[in-house]
Amino acid sequence: MSKLVCLVSGGIDSPVAAYMMIRRGVEIVAVHMDNRPFTDDKNLDKALLLVRHLQEVTNSPIKTYVVPHGPNHVTFARNCNRHLHCLFCRRMMFRVAERIAEREGAVGILTGESMGQVASQTVQNLTVVTQVTKLPLIRPLIGMDKQEIIEIARKIGTYEISILPGLCCTIVPKQPSTAAKLADVIGEEEKVDIDALVEKSLEGMYVLAPETL
Amino acid sequence: MYSLLKPCKTTAAIEAIPRERLALNLDLCEEILKKNCTIVANAGVMLIVNDRCEVSIHRDGRLILKTDAAGLAEEQASRIAGWLAGSAAVRKQTGSGNAGQHCRK
Repeated sequence: MSKLVCLVSGGIDSPVAAYMMIRRGVEIVAVHMDNRPFTDDKNLDKALLLVRHLQEVTNSPIKTYVVPHGPNHVTFARNCNRHLHCLFCRRMMFRVAERIAEREGAVGILTGESMGQVASQTVQNLTVVTQVTKLPLIRPLIGMDKQEIIEIARKIGTYEISILPGLCCTIVPKQPSTAAKLADVIGEEEKVDIDALVEKSLEGMYVLAPETL
Repeated sequence: MYSLLKPCKTTAAIEAIPRERLALNLDLCEEILKKNCTIVANAGVMLIVNDRCEVSIHRDGRLILKTDAAGLAEEQASRIAGWLAGSAAVRKQTGSGNAGQHCRK
């Protein structure tokens, strides 16, 4: 069975993406990038509830990694171009997911990204984000609109969990770039020690076995 | 200092809006608030402290209070306003207030 690392937030899209691939016979390892203190505890709770629900509806055990991402936000906010913040955030997620994939023997990274839904998900920005990893990025929702995704989420029972209260990421810039250039992003990232941030994130992560959720 | 408390659109937090347009020096705020609060993070664009609840303090003076209890949020906003009032960390700017920048009314 193929294995994918799936980035799972507390939102609507990523559980749907995970469900679709599990249904196609893929084994999922969930990775939640913990944005606290720029979100709140409720977001982590929701992500874990969603993984537990996915386990139940698919009858598939899902190992879950929780990775501290807040310190990465602080570093980028203090040192790099604010407009590109969401790109730095996504690229860090993929770097961490790639390392977890190596550890888990996963062959790719699965996300709930859907074209044009938020600032980081324009064609240009998705391209910039994609460049950061050698692994294939699997985006089963890429061409779907929000309503289609919500319909599936309702059908599989994740929608009601995803819309529970939770503080949205508060460090999103007021004017996020929607058409970033790879060279600009790389230039900004050179202002910080990316490798050290990745290592620190991995040192701080913890793993939840399927039966503990 | 704060005139308005309203639920964030996510309903997971309450936002306090300054009555006047403000510009906060968050590094100075950190120096002042660390006597009374735990400093959670200073991201330059936002200072996060923990007292009765966790609070994100923005450079324009807005507070995001991570509680859904209005009374607690109001008390926490007053405590922070009291600690910062009259300090060099807070500069008043001309013009109207900040209402409506982050959350739905």
